[in-house]
This record gives sequence, C-alpha cells and structure tokens, in this order.
Amino acid sequence: MSEAPHTVKSYEEELKNLNSNIIKMGGFCEEALGKAVQAITMRNSDHAESVIKDDEKIDKFETLIEQQVVNLIALRQPMAIDLRETVTALKISSDLERIGDLAKNISKRTLLLNENLPKNLVDALVRVSSDVQKQLKSILDAYLDRSSSVAMNVWESDEKTDDLTNLCMQEVIKYLKENEKNLDDGTHLLFVTKNIERIGDHTTNVAEQVYYLVTGKYLEGDRPKGTEPIVTGEK
Amino acid sequence: MRKNGVNMIKISAKNVDVFYGKKQALFNINLDIEENQVTALIGPSGCGKSTFLRCLNRMNDVIDICKVQGEIVINDFNINDKGCDVVRLREKIGMVFQKPNPFPKTLYENISYGPTIHGMAQSKQEMDEIVETSLKKAALWEEVKDRLHEPGTGLSGGQQQRLCIARAISVQPEVILMDEPCSALDPIATAQIEELIDELKKEHTIIIVTHSMAQAARVSQRTGFFHLGELIEHGSTDKIFKNPDNIKTQDYITGRFG
Repeated sequence: MSEAPHTVKSYEEELKNLNSNIIKMGGFCEEALGKAVQAITMRNSDHAESVIKDDEKIDKFETLIEQQVVNLIALRQPMAIDLRETVTALKISSDLERIGDLAKNISKRTLLLNENLPKNLVDALVRVSSDVQKQLKSILDAYLDRSSSVAMNVWESDEKTDDLTNLCMQEVIKYLKENEKNLDDGTHLLFVTKNIERIGDHTTNVAEQVYYLVTGKYLEGDRPKGTEPIVTGEK
Repeated sequence: MRKNGVNMIKISAKNVDVFYGKKQALFNINLDIEENQVTALIGPSGCGKSTFLRCLNRMNDVIDICKVQGEIVINDFNINDKGCDVVRLREKIGMVFQKPNPFPKTLYENISYGPTIHGMAQSKQEMDEIVETSLKKAALWEEVKDRLHEPGTGLSGGQQQRLCIARAISVQPEVILMDEPCSALDPIATAQIEELIDELKKEHTIIIVTHSMAQAARVSQRTGFFHLGELIEHGSTDKIFKNPDNIKTQDYITGRFG
C-alpha cells in the first residue's frame, strides 16, 4: 500500500481488510500444507483429519475475498496501486484455495497409506515438501512486505522444486516395481508427490501476482523449468 | 494521423510559464499533444490545468493581469508570436465550456454564427448544410431538426451542451478544447457526450479538462497530471491509471491527496 492514507477512511479500511484476509488465508494454507506433510512423515492421522476438516475455512476465505473484490470494483473504482491490490487479491485467493484443496487431497490419501513406508521414500518426499513449504512461506512474507525481489526468488526457485519432484517420483516408481503389493500405496504416493509439486506451481503463480502488485510489471519470459518428468524411471 | 505507428504531434507546448500578476500559475510546462487523440488534463482545483487549456487558444489574453511566456507550437507556428491572428486561431481551435452557454438565439443561429463571421458559406443552402452536418456530428440533429428556429436555451442541459459542441465544430476546427464539459450533466447526457468525443477524435484533436478520474480514464488515450502549476506526469492513459511513475500522481488518482 502507498504511504499516505486515503482521504476516505472507509475505503482505506476496506483495502486493509482485504489485505489482511489474504494474509490470514495464506496462514491457513501454510498450516494445512505443514500438517498434511507431518501426517505422512510422522504417521499422524489426527493431522490429516484436521486438514480435511479445515479446508472449509480456506474455501470460505476465497468466497469472502471474491465478494470484497467485487464490492471494491463496483463501489470504489480502484485505480493504480489500489487496482493492483484488488485484482491480485482475487487471483492470489484462487491460487491459495487450490493449495488448500491439494493439501486436503494429500491428507485423504495419507489416511489410506500403509503405516510402514521405506525411509528413503519418505526422505525424498520430505525434501520436496520442505522445499515447497519454504517457498510458500517466503511468498506470503513477500506479499506482506511488498517485496518484488523475494517474489522473483520464489518464482525462480520453481526449477529446484521440479527437480526434487522428479527425484521423489523416481523413488516412488522404484517402490512400485519392487512388489505388486506396493501398487495401492505407490499410486497414492505418486499423487501425493504430484500434489506437492502442484502446490509449488500455485506458489509460483502467487509470486507472479506479488511481483505485478509491487512493480506494475509482469514477470517476463517462460517460468524456469527443471528436468523433464520421469515416465519410466529408466531413462 | 499516424506515421510509422507513431501519432503525429498536433500541439507542442515548450517551457510555458503563466503569471497572474506576480503570482506564477504555471511552471515550465512541456507537453506534446498527439493528433486525433483525446488528451485528458487532470489535477486538483487550482493546479493550472484550465489555465493551460486556455493558453492553447489564447483565452488568457482577455485577462489583463495574465502573462504567458514560452512557446505553444501548432502546425509549426508559435501562437504566442505577435503576428498571430487570434480570430483565425480560435477558428482552428474551438472550445466547449463547463456550463452549456448557447447564445440567446435560435438553434440555427447558434450554429450559423461562426461560419457567418468566418465567411464559410456562400448561400443559404450552404449554410443549411453546415448547420445540418454540425448538428448530426454532435448527435443532436434527430432531436432538434423540427425546431431549428426555436431558442437554443429551451433545450435540456445535455442537449444545450451538444448544441455548444455543434457550434464549436461548425467552423471545422482542428482542435477542440473542453473544460469540464460534463460536470453539469446527468449520467446519460454525460455518456452521450463521451460517445461524441470518441467520434469527434477521428477528425479533431481533443483536449479535455475533467475532475472525474473515471471520465479521464474512459475517454482519453493520453493523460497529463497537474499539481501546483507543474505538469507532474503525462503519458498513456492506461499507464497513468494502472501504474503511474510518480507517487503524487498515484496519491491523486487513488484519492490519497492532502
């Protein structure tokens, strides 16, 4: 937000409120992703169940933010930085909502997983998920601090996430090949890995929005891409 | 008119200073106005935007204490030069004011006045044509064609303003200056004027002073922001309203001023 406050105080309040709702919603998403990951690594079903239950909260934030944005556009006709605040809030909220959904899906699958998963597989999963958790935290901080440089860093780091995802996929595929009995768990784990990567993608989308919000410019060029996805594990 | 994808410059203001007595109202204004585009001038009251507009057809001449310095070049000619024929200048540069101000005469006479003093019609028939064309271009013809000899002051506010626009375009000006042309009009009449501005820019260069940010955004392609007698920022309208460079511009258009 700009330094000087609006002459119309209620307008100022509405924009601040929108801003704080994005931050709260982001906090819930961070929490959901953290719990979803812990549910797998620490085999904690309570965590998984609470992620599933709490997704409703995140959905409600999306609806609330959408209504606030529509009201601002209809009643305040925001311009310049206010316009960018308003439009990016709408887009960020929809990415955050998807992050919530993906965390919920991870948790649903976690509840179906076997108690004892191979350590190297869990380790690979932890590597990619901690990376994504770190990016999500950074971008929410960047939104709060209006930092285009942090947003740019997050955007560029998606490449690393893609690489870690592929390594994790390889572990899952190895696990699948070991024994036919691993088919159920392995399939769930493929989706879990893919969902974590998708959360990384949505985080990158948020980074693009934060960059636009702060600078008024679009991040140019193709998003950095990591190695090509592994299909067979035997390339 | 475009040349190599770039709009031609119709008016070029260079180092323009304006004084009312000892008080300086405009400080070193440099602004190029593009041909066949709508340029909006915005800024808080007293910022100098109307003063600048009035420089463009030497309307400030009528104020004794007002002194204009610097160059205003239109068609390669500095209108502040001593040899400038102000009557000819105002034929080329028409003006529409905030409050509709039709002459206390008939609709027909309102339009025919300008072409008469500039000797633009050789016959009654030619004058009839000018009146009809002007009213058609001002999107007023259909509403008034059966009462051309009734007083212009009998029209509604929005119609009176379109009559004033018809009067301005009757002498085929190259540039039309508009000083808050819609501030006394209701939203429907405002929309009609805005639609008209969009049409008129095909044949004329338009400069509009407006207090309505939304109107500036809707009607113009270029916007200039004035503050305390200075031109703070000017550029394409979408840039000014989405991502202005200057913090003062941003504070003004987002309602954070003062």
